[in-house]
Amino acid sequence: MADNNRYMDMDGTAFFGAVSAAVTHDMKNFLAIINENAGLLGDLAVNAQNRSLPIDPQKAGRISEKIRNQVARADTMMKLFNRFSHSMDHAEETVDVEEMVHLVAGLAARIIRHHGVCLTVTPAPVPCRMKAYRFGVLHLIFRVVETACTILDNVAAKTQKQIMVSFGMDPKVPEICVTLDPVPAPGWVALFDDCPKDRDLLDQVNMVVKKNNTGNGFCLYRIQPDHAYLSAEPKRQ
Amino acid sequence: MSEKVLLVDDEKEFLEIMSERMEARGMTVKTADSADQALAMLEKESFDAIVMDFKMPGMDGIQALKNIKSQKPELQIILLTGYATVEKTVEAMKIGATDLLEKPADLESLAATIKQAKADKMLVVEKKTEEKIKDILQRFGG
Repeated sequence: MADNNRYMDMDGTAFFGAVSAAVTHDMKNFLAIINENAGLLGDLAVNAQNRSLPIDPQKAGRISEKIRNQVARADTMMKLFNRFSHSMDHAEETVDVEEMVHLVAGLAARIIRHHGVCLTVTPAPVPCRMKAYRFGVLHLIFRVVETACTILDNVAAKTQKQIMVSFGMDPKVPEICVTLDPVPAPGWVALFDDCPKDRDLLDQVNMVVKKNNTGNGFCLYRIQPDHAYLSAEPKRQ
Repeated sequence: MSEKVLLVDDEKEFLEIMSERMEARGMTVKTADSADQALAMLEKESFDAIVMDFKMPGMDGIQALKNIKSQKPELQIILLTGYATVEKTVEAMKIGATDLLEKPADLESLAATIKQAKADKMLVVEKKTEEKIKDILQRFGG
């Protein structure tokens, strides 16, 4: 648990805060739409009473459906947030990286949208699992997405911007590949590990980063397969 | 005369329902789903007030507020936000926001704020006209 506590430093807290802010903002928007729909139902009732007419059942049905849709959106978001909140419950465990990418994509949807970016996740051809701290993996993926969005910020606003996340072919070497579209300007050097804090994150999950062969993104991969990693000495204390 | 309002939010469903409810209260409502679109609309049309989400994709809320105020200084801008920190509220008010309301907002309060905003805008316009007249009189009247 001592290692796990390392994440509860300022960076980990800042990450938790950023995700919480995005989620609560989304929740407020869902509530605002529910509130306005409820208000619309109220308006319908007042109008019907004032004009001594029955409430239009089709309109009332449409409003009710809209409320249900927003409740479903809010419920999905709360489920994701709950899973995220419990990511600190366990010490090192087997983590499904693909699942973690989907979790981050859902939680950070608002942040990604704010960059005018569309994120797509290609299903992993083989299971992409590794022994790691769940919270650390989530933090790393979040930073990867954030960095990719920042790189694409330099692209003209009206261009369709995309981040594609895919996974490696070897189940023994977990690999996350990030492809950017459009391709950043020639000579871009913003590799994910430019920042010391990100290098620390990579260390925590025993991964390194390299530019991909086509120059339109980067890949994160495990330095050693899990069986070797588990028997090795911890990298940092 | 009814208030003419530009409603700006990236949640299209919110725009749709809010505009319907505001129109039912006698307001004339136009909508935009981004600050950029709002700025483009402001070049072509005039409004009594803008009701704008503070955080939308693209232009940052503070930047949008600055741009709108530089384009139309007399325009009253009511910000709607999912969260309202003291710092952001103070910053927005310093730049010239009329009010900052938290979502979900009470429509009757919003309608009252819009009505007040229109009256405030009229005062600003009247004051500007008076100053212009004063200036002309000073220059030509001796």
